[in-house]
Amino acid sequence: MSVAHLQEAAITSLLERIERAFAEVSGVDEMKRRVEMALAEKIPPFEIIQSMRQGLSTAGRKYEEGEYFLSELIMSGIMAQELSKMLKPYLQSSRDQVLGKVVIGTVKGDLHDIGKNLVSIMLSSAGFEIIDLGIDVSTEKFIGAVEKENPNIVAMSCLLTIAMDEMKETIDELAEAGQRRKVKVLVGGRPITLDFAREIGADGYGSDAVEAVKAAMGALRK
Amino acid sequence: MNKKERVMRTLDHDEPDLVPMTEMSIDPRHLETITQTRFIGETSLQTPVSADRRAEMNKVATFVLAYRKLGFELIPCDLSAPDGWSSKKNPDGTMTDEWGRVLSYDSKCKTWVPTNSIFAIPEDFERFPLPDPHASGRTFAIAEMKKNVGDEIALAAFIRDPFAHAWEMFKITDFVRWFYEKPHFIQRVIERITDFNIKMIKQVADTKADLIISGGDYSEKRGPLVPVRFFKDVVFPNLLRQVEAAHKAGLRFIKHSDGNLNPILDHLASIVDGLHSLDPTAGMNVGDVKLQYGGKLVLIGNVAVDNLCRKTKEEIVEETKECLRRAAPGGGYILSSSNSWYTDAKLENCLAMVDAGRRYGVYPINIS
Repeated sequence: MSVAHLQEAAITSLLERIERAFAEVSGVDEMKRRVEMALAEKIPPFEIIQSMRQGLSTAGRKYEEGEYFLSELIMSGIMAQELSKMLKPYLQSSRDQVLGKVVIGTVKGDLHDIGKNLVSIMLSSAGFEIIDLGIDVSTEKFIGAVEKENPNIVAMSCLLTIAMDEMKETIDELAEAGQRRKVKVLVGGRPITLDFAREIGADGYGSDAVEAVKAAMGALRK
Repeated sequence: MNKKERVMRTLDHDEPDLVPMTEMSIDPRHLETITQTRFIGETSLQTPVSADRRAEMNKVATFVLAYRKLGFELIPCDLSAPDGWSSKKNPDGTMTDEWGRVLSYDSKCKTWVPTNSIFAIPEDFERFPLPDPHASGRTFAIAEMKKNVGDEIALAAFIRDPFAHAWEMFKITDFVRWFYEKPHFIQRVIERITDFNIKMIKQVADTKADLIISGGDYSEKRGPLVPVRFFKDVVFPNLLRQVEAAHKAGLRFIKHSDGNLNPILDHLASIVDGLHSLDPTAGMNVGDVKLQYGGKLVLIGNVAVDNLCRKTKEEIVEETKECLRRAAPGGGYILSSSNSWYTDAKLENCLAMVDAGRRYGVYPINIS
């Protein structure tokens, strides 16, 4: 085997180990150790990010199949956030790595944010730039953020059924403000169903954080 | 047979005359409608938010009036903050409770909801002075409730499950990170909250309450929040310590959790006396649980809270009948919603559930 082949095999092995760190939820320290080794071998950061995404995708699949628990899904997202911080200095134009921009928030009248935060982490891990408006977000605040941030996607979450009407109101007001065609709207949360998402005119729906990432990817392709 | 006797017979897995009913909580707006009184005081499903005893007495009186009007057999009551305590009010309108949970006020539901934490790193918790379990006044509301209901209605005292308490206290993302990076720290936190709870259970017993309900979720809709082995190694041994303390004090112990509990049901059934809420949206089927664990677990549930918000009265009556048909025969069943009566539940649906419970919940159960 030539020296070039040996180097290629070593690189592949390092990238596979990074992918496995995410797929097996090896923890932040172990992931960082493997990434440092890859950077020492001058492996381009975007290839490391690609491996991370493959590993995250495996973790998401294992969660959907019942092999992983929610804590493992959250931890893989935390690892991805740490990797993004680690690679920031190496990425000359981090914007090139961004799949799209998402404005996200829990709608007005609802203070619950566990689901919304998890979706934020997973979208961020998948390569989206996140503008998190927090909880109890009014229609006006969503529209203001769309005007200011020019996102690809608006993602709305709620836990309480009493707050569901806010989602429709925000979609209607986005149309009223002439912003609806500029963005895709995704909705999710405990009481939200696909039928409800369709009924209020949303572009997509995620039943959990993994599905939300798929919906966001799908929305970008539309 | 009075209401309390109906509950006690049920806890013994015997059939009383009627299926007892309860709700773990009722949001203030519904309480006001049911009682035609103004609800005074602050409330949270997770933690005491005030030590204003006058407001607390009003809250207790409002709950008792509502539960009497509804004909409920079991009434739950939260622990109180200690005498003289006041929450830390923050400039952004939030408050901080005794355990470092930061809560925001939900004006629609008129309740305080945990939204943040004062703990940024584990060392913050290590330096944090833990609440004193012996501080006076922690069972103020429960004792007040007992004075009101006497031996007419069964009284349940709420405590917070140490596992749920820990993830609420740290926020779930930090909890998960420390769970993986500092598992012994998380274990120690759960043990310390368990120590606190055991002391609370002993004080609750002195009030002559009848049972303990441990609030806080173990699961989400797909399954347990953390791997099952952690439940086996840490959560369940500490749960068992609390159950043993309760039994020693003559109290039954009910565990509440939303979400899909199926992967840990075997273990739960070997530790606790009963289970609430049997979350149907997470795939919990009260009939299946009854078939498998009916001899061990008293079941409390499970008319879906989402359906109370969305469906018609007629549909709620059918759902209630189905719960009764599947879970009530043989005793060991208390009818309730699958969580509590949120502000967004239609009160007419909640009342339809109660009416159906009374109409069809007569032993021997005979629902075609």
